[in-house]
Formats: sequence, C-alpha cells, structure tokens
Amino acid sequence: MTCSVKKTLRRSDIRRRPAISFPALPGRAFWLGLTLAGSLLSASVVTSAPSPIQNDFSDHAVLATLPDMSPDLSSTPDNVEALADEVQQLIGQARSTGDPRFLGYAERLLQDWPEAGFTDRLRVLRATLAQSLHRFDAARQDLERVLQTTQQRQQRIQSRLTLANLELVQGNYGKARQHCQELAGIYPGLIAASCLAQTDARTGQADAAYAHLQAQQASASNADLTGQLWAEGTLGDLAAQLDLDSAAVHWGIVLQQSPDDLYTRTQLADWHLQAGNLQATLALTEGYKQVDALAVIRAIALREAGAPAAEALADSLRERFAEAQWRGTLLHQRDFARFQLDIENRPTLALKHALANWETQREPMDTRLALRAAHSAGDQPALERLHQWLAQYDQIDQRYPEAP
Amino acid sequence: MFRPIPLPLLTVFLWLLALANPVLAHKASDSFMYLDTDSRQFRIDVALRDLALLVPLDTNRDGEVTGGELRQHRGAILAAIEAAITLSADNTACQLRGEESGISQHSDGAYAATRYQVLCDGGQAPDSLNYQLLFAQDSLHRGLIQISAGNESSLAVAGPDSQTVDLRPAGRAGLWHSFTTFLWEGVVHLLIGLDHILFLLVLVLPASLSRNDSITSPQRWLPSRAQIIELTGVVTAFTVAHSITLALAALKIVSLPIAWVETVIAASIVVAAVNVVWPVLGRKTWPLAFGFGLIHGFGFASVLSDLTSGTANLAVALAGFNVGVELGQLALLAICFPLLNLLAQATPLYQRALVPVVLLGVVGVSLMWVWERTPAV
Repeated sequence: MTCSVKKTLRRSDIRRRPAISFPALPGRAFWLGLTLAGSLLSASVVTSAPSPIQNDFSDHAVLATLPDMSPDLSSTPDNVEALADEVQQLIGQARSTGDPRFLGYAERLLQDWPEAGFTDRLRVLRATLAQSLHRFDAARQDLERVLQTTQQRQQRIQSRLTLANLELVQGNYGKARQHCQELAGIYPGLIAASCLAQTDARTGQADAAYAHLQAQQASASNADLTGQLWAEGTLGDLAAQLDLDSAAVHWGIVLQQSPDDLYTRTQLADWHLQAGNLQATLALTEGYKQVDALAVIRAIALREAGAPAAEALADSLRERFAEAQWRGTLLHQRDFARFQLDIENRPTLALKHALANWETQREPMDTRLALRAAHSAGDQPALERLHQWLAQYDQIDQRYPEAP
Repeated sequence: MFRPIPLPLLTVFLWLLALANPVLAHKASDSFMYLDTDSRQFRIDVALRDLALLVPLDTNRDGEVTGGELRQHRGAILAAIEAAITLSADNTACQLRGEESGISQHSDGAYAATRYQVLCDGGQAPDSLNYQLLFAQDSLHRGLIQISAGNESSLAVAGPDSQTVDLRPAGRAGLWHSFTTFLWEGVVHLLIGLDHILFLLVLVLPASLSRNDSITSPQRWLPSRAQIIELTGVVTAFTVAHSITLALAALKIVSLPIAWVETVIAASIVVAAVNVVWPVLGRKTWPLAFGFGLIHGFGFASVLSDLTSGTANLAVALAGFNVGVELGQLALLAICFPLLNLLAQATPLYQRALVPVVLLGVVGVSLMWVWERTPAV
C-alpha cells in the first residue's frame, strides 16, 4: 500500500546495494527504469506523511462529537447481571452503529470478570461477541457448553439460535439444519421457521422455502412482532436469491421498522446496485460513510454514476483500509476485497482476500464476491473450487455470476 | 401464550448479530506514533473520542468536544499519555520534552497530536517502547508505530498482549530482508513464468541465427561481438520498458485490468514468434522487445502487488523485485544462449527444422493462452 511508504529511497541508496553491481549487461537502461521508479515514489510519499499538527482552531470549534452512549468505564459493574446488561447494551450499540470500539469495551469488561463467576447468560454474550470478531471456534465452544449444562430455557434457545446462524454463515448446512430443528422443538414459531427456510434455500430448495415461509408468516399471529420482522428479513434474502422484485419490498419493511439494521441496509443497497438503481443505492447509503460495507457500495455507485464525490470517498476508504493493514488485522476482509475489485481494479489481490474471507464466511455476498473476483482474475482453479462447493450443496443464487 | 420479555429483545438483536457480518465497521481504536531515531523526535496522535474515556474532555456534557474544552484539559491529556508511554535506551527510561501539541486529522476524525524530543542517557537513541494507553478500557485498542532511521522506516504494533516494541532491529535488517525476499521473488517469478521465458526465447532466437564467424572461431558456443550487441539491445529494451510500467503500476499511477494484460502478454508471444519468420514488424527485435516489454511490466506488477500488501517499504520491494527479474533473465540467457549457439553450429537442421518447430510450438501454446485468458465480456 502506498500509504505505508513513508520514506523516499534516494538514488544514492539504491546504488549502494551490492546485489545490483552484478553483471553490467542491461546496465544503464536498468538504472533509468529504477531511477524513474525512485522519483515517482518520492511524489507519492508526500501524501502519506502524517497530517500536520494544527493549533489554529477557535475555542468554539467543535473538534469531535462523542457517541450518544458514552460508556462509563470508570467503574466495573459489581454484580453479574449488571455486567451482562452492560455488555449486551455495548454489543447492541456496536450493531446499530457499526462501530467496533464498543466491542472492545465489552470484551474488556468480560476479560476483567473472573472465569469462575461466569453465568450462562454471560457465556452466550461472550460467544456473541466472539462471533462478531470472527472468532467462530471460540463462539462455538461457549455455546456448546451452555447447551450441555444450562437449566435455563431462554439461554438454551439463545444458544441454539446463535449456533444455527453461525453454522449457516459458515456454510455448514447439515449442522445448521440440526440446530434449526432443535430450535423448532423448544421454541416453535417464525424464528425457527426462518432458520429452516434459510437452510433449505441454500441447499437447492429456494422456491419451496420462499413459498412455505410466506404461508407460515401469513398464518402466524401479528402480535409476534419480532418473529414477523425476522421472517420478513428472511423472505427478503430468499427473494433476492430467486431474483424476485419482492426482495426490495421485504427488506424495505424491515428497514422501516428498524432503520439501524445495517445488515438489511447493506443487502438492499447491494441489491439496487446490482440492478443498476444507482439513485436508490445512493439514498440507502447516504450518511453511512463510517460503515465500511455501505461506504464501499456507495463508492462504487458514485463512480458508476460519474459523480465528482466518488474519488473523495474512495480516497478516504483507501486511508481507512491502509490503517487497518498497518494494524495487521483486516476485520472487514470482504469489504477490502470488494474495494480492490470494483474500485482499485486489482482482481488478483481482491481474489486473495475474497477467498481468505470465504474460508470462514460463506454467505451469498461472500460467495458472490469470491466468484466475481475469481472470474475477473481468470483464476480457473479458484472458480472450480467455488463451483464444486456450490454443486455439493446444490446452491443456486441468481445473484451469482456465471454459475455453472 | 408464552412471552418471555428479555428474549424478543435479545433475538432482534441476534438477528443483526448472527447474520450481520458487514455490520462491523467504522474503525477500531488506534493511536498513531511516529519515531525518528536520528532526530530523536517522537509524535503521538490519540483520537479525541478515545481520550474522552480517560479525561473528562466534555466539560459541559453536550456530547461535543470543543477547542476550548481541549485547551482546558491539555495538561490532563498530556499527563495521561505520558503516564502510559515509556521510551527507553539500555533499560533506562528516557525523558520526553514536549515541543508542540495540537490536533491532527485521521480517517475517523480529530486526534490530539503531540510532538516530543526524546532525551535518553548519554544521548542514545531509544531502543524500546512500552505502550499501555487505553488497554484497560478497550481490548481492541492498538498503538501503531512507525520507526524511521535515515531513509528507512518500518511499522510495528503494540497491543494488550505485546505492550513492548523493540525499536532496534526492525530498521536495517528488516529492509535488507525485504529487499532480498523480493529479489528472490523476482527471480522465481521470471523463471516459473513460462510466458516471459517464451517471449525472451523468441526474441533472442534471431540472434542465434546471425552468427557468421563460426568456422574460424574455436569456441563456437561463445556469443560473438555482434551477437552480444544484439542481445544487449534486446534485453535492455525489454528491461527499460517493463521497469517503467512495473513502477507505474506498482505505484498505482496506471492500472490496467489484469485479465486483458495477461491476454495481451500471450498475444505478444505469438506476434514475436511470427515476426521471426515473417518480419512484418521489422527485422530489428529491440523495438519489439520495448513495445511488448511495456505490457509485460503490468504482468510483473500484478504479482508484486499481491506480495506487497502490508509491506512497509514499497520502494525496497519494487527495487528488489525488479533486480530479481533482471537476474533471472540474465541467468536464463547465460545458460540458454550458448546452448542455442552450439546447436546452430552443430547441425544445419537447427535453422531449417528445429527453429521452425520450436516457433510453431510456441505459437500454439501462446494461442491457447490467448484463448483461455480472454475475459468474457
């Protein structure tokens, strides 16, 4: 990444390198090329120097806006229920704002609590947190332990549902189906029905799953708001998979009820982008530049619309991803890969990250990106591997390009 | 009807959680540090939002930090930062003398930025950094540090499990290491990249046909003066051309779709091979080498870009890779060309049968590549 180049390599330094004094055959010409490279580098370095320290701000200037829910981290909760409430609130905050700092605060609170004092609820929350940080094995371990030992029905339901989703995300459809069935046993309703519908849809029965879930939703009680909304979102996912226009309607209802649902917002914005409805994409992503997934989709839409703001957003994403790379942990590997593919036009690099992401997450969006990157990079073995996996589960999604 | 109150709350939120991988966004908390071990300058930038966890910056509790509030708390901010950071030399802590403080901008907003002069015993450069800021509040916080010495720089990260950063060896050894690593990658890429090898082979074939002093020369496998001049021209032109585009692409000044680049590379081999028999593009090979060298440079760049993601010093990587490609090229010629020469003198079949067969094979293989690589539009 250019931004990590902080210093110029001077011509005199290059000349000192011993390996270069080897044969003189292409001599001068080579130096010409290298010198050119050196001088070009010095130009790009300027932009990556740390931004200057400013002191000319007025006393009234607003320098930073603090989040609505500023955590009070000065005092640790003194009982386990208060701790669980606080952790749950922090995770919820991270979800609705897309801000990972809240996950860091939550994890710190959990780490400070002695393991011996962990309750089932705390373990479920820790697993939820681990899943958000893509530590899937740690999440699985906590949840399976809760399932084995807990006496609380609510924690069993919670663990079962979280595990089902985890397996679904990772593409382990056999295990996902088992957990969905168990869930239907202890907590029948639209949530378990949605769980099964997702699993069926990804294993070759999207049509039937969509029709069945629609019927179940219609006959279920309207009083079950959570279940209704959950089913609505799932119907959106299935409709998109089947390339039905109703996808936008289902997701639109969910967003109307909970505008903070960034998952649904991302799905819908991407749906419109793929359909070429750039105005709809821009409207959905407006004001969400801080959220990587939405910002990348917006940057692509702006560029396709030929908007002048496209480059500014791409620049700020470039800086953000560069900082994440310096940090060493690329949490949003999918967004980074998509940025490389659609904005930077570097399909080989995009494919590398799309596949690394696909190793742990196999949602349609992940699979689609991996397929597109493999296609652009002309990587036949990667394409074959993806096609093989899709064939193994009979997974058909109208959003996938060039599926066999 | 069963309706446990906390469950629906929790499930709505789980709906987001379990499926919502894109939700994780914004940016995790990072501090940025810049140390120049030559001038002993140290700068640290901490997000105002993060500092608000340590110092009550928002005096009037309106959710905003103003310039006035920042100035009011400057002493407490510096104290919090200085308490969490220790630069040391030979296990003795160095002093930090504040020189400038203000704000700076990073990708997620305003940071408090402070520049220090580092004063260690005996005027030494600091060799170690201990960083503990914000770890007690945020387990995902990291201290990112850029260490500069002379013209070299390296990056390091301090985290809750690795609070001490060694400032010494990363510099020189690290740079030399990445230079040699990329040099080796360059050699390997040239030697395993069959398309570049075939292109070179086709380019140098005419030179092996041009020897006319074979009868008088006792060492007929050695290239003649005329051959050396011709080879030098070809290799130099190829090198200059692909160095230019490799640099342009590596520095992201120019970017071409790789699938098309690969296709054109394959096509370039076909054209070069045909040109040996029917010199439609002229008998001189160096202009051909230059023209197609430009496109081969983009091919090298795509490999390089995969290797350099996360590399601190692109200049070193670029230089190493380029030198590696050249070395691979020269090694190949040093072995193959005398062999071709030997064959050319040993039997008249070389010119009449072997060269045409080889060219035909090369054209066949390259055409197949063109077919395979052409991206579907």
